[in-house]
Amino acid sequence: MLTVENVRKVFGAATVLGGVDLAIRPGEVVSVLGTSGSGKSTLIRCINGLERLDGGRITVDGFDVSKPKELAEARKRSGTVFQLFNLYPHMTAVENVMLAPVEVLKRPRLEAEAKAREILASVGLAPRADAYPAQLSGGQRQRVGLARALAMEPRYLLLDEVTSALDPEMTAEVLAILAELAKTGTTMLFVTHEIEFARRISDRIVFLDAGRLLVDLPAAEFFSPAGGLANPRIAQFLSKMHRD
Amino acid sequence: MRYTEFTSYDLILLAQGLGVSVGLFLATSAIGLALGTLWAVARFYRVPVLSQALTLLAELLKNSPVLVQLFLVFFGLPAFARINVTPVEAALITLSLNTAAFVFVIAVSGIEAVGRDQIEAARVFGLTRWQVLRRVVGPQAVAFGIGPLIALLVNQLQVTSLISVIGITDLTKVGNILNLRTLKPFVVWSVVGLLYYGAAKLVAHLGARLETRLRAYNSWRGL
Repeated sequence: MLTVENVRKVFGAATVLGGVDLAIRPGEVVSVLGTSGSGKSTLIRCINGLERLDGGRITVDGFDVSKPKELAEARKRSGTVFQLFNLYPHMTAVENVMLAPVEVLKRPRLEAEAKAREILASVGLAPRADAYPAQLSGGQRQRVGLARALAMEPRYLLLDEVTSALDPEMTAEVLAILAELAKTGTTMLFVTHEIEFARRISDRIVFLDAGRLLVDLPAAEFFSPAGGLANPRIAQFLSKMHRD
Repeated sequence: MRYTEFTSYDLILLAQGLGVSVGLFLATSAIGLALGTLWAVARFYRVPVLSQALTLLAELLKNSPVLVQLFLVFFGLPAFARINVTPVEAALITLSLNTAAFVFVIAVSGIEAVGRDQIEAARVFGLTRWQVLRRVVGPQAVAFGIGPLIALLVNQLQVTSLISVIGITDLTKVGNILNLRTLKPFVVWSVVGLLYYGAAKLVAHLGARLETRLRAYNSWRGL
């Protein structure tokens, strides 16, 4: 269980998260929608401990991310995929994927490498496993980013606008893999602008607006006139996104 | 005193001088590299007080002449702290600290050139600060810094010539002796210069080979 309770985050005079509550049960796929600057990415950065909370509490399987000793445990349980990939440029794809298993989980190198190659193959990158990030396309880089997160066998996958930096074709590559993962029961917190895709794979959709959680609804209900669309802010957002 | 011609023994003298210069260069480079890197690591960990003190020390060493530093250690230490230092000790201390200061600056900018995003990624996957330094930041900082580092070492090799002033029989001192004896400055200083040149070229060549290997990962950039 991943729980976010009344979380507040302030940057200077700007309140980025103004008391957010969210709970994700194992096996659930929850998408977070909202305009740019609504606090979606900050929410992910609070969950994986990259930002200090200014209020509230986040726990991952009971481990409080605000406590340094528990953060390490919390981080072992969640894997993050970043918008701009954040790969290690001096390592090949397979080295990127096996670094954390070897250093953090203390897996033997050979075993970790075999596992890393297996995961890279599962995201369609077996022939590119020994390439450096600079030799890969954007879509391939993001698939390495995904493989790197999966190698830690996370119980919760945190996806921070993972397709925002990709063109439509590359976006499709990455989304196809995510759809597959969703089907196999991987728990995901999916921050995205891909509304149609979110609708297809999500169990629940939450909508963030100016650091507040406006609704938290089952996916089908979110798009129904009586559900999410009844909220004028969401109706406006969806109509704008669909027009683009 | 009678001026004399060159003898075959002068070659041995030159070789000895070159040996002293290169030996001191290697020793002070090794100590300087270790020390400067250690200082940079202390700064990476943001050790309070120590980080600021090291930055100040590096500034002082970087921005004053090596010859002045050498005199301060050789003449100053005995006068001020009643510590007797031999010429070789003074040379070792001065050149090592001077190299360390420049290595510190190169290492710090190498570390800072590594993108924050990668460090964040590594932290999120649970790597400790030390693991991040050793596996993610370190290798890239070395690749960034190797070019300036080789240039520094080539320069530090020339700087060793200053130690002849406090009486160490290095290559420059040998040149001085031969010059006084033969009164053929053009020949003597040409030979001495060529020997420094050869040694410096060797350092640069080895450095360039290392650099190519370390930077292999981004040779594809821009393709």
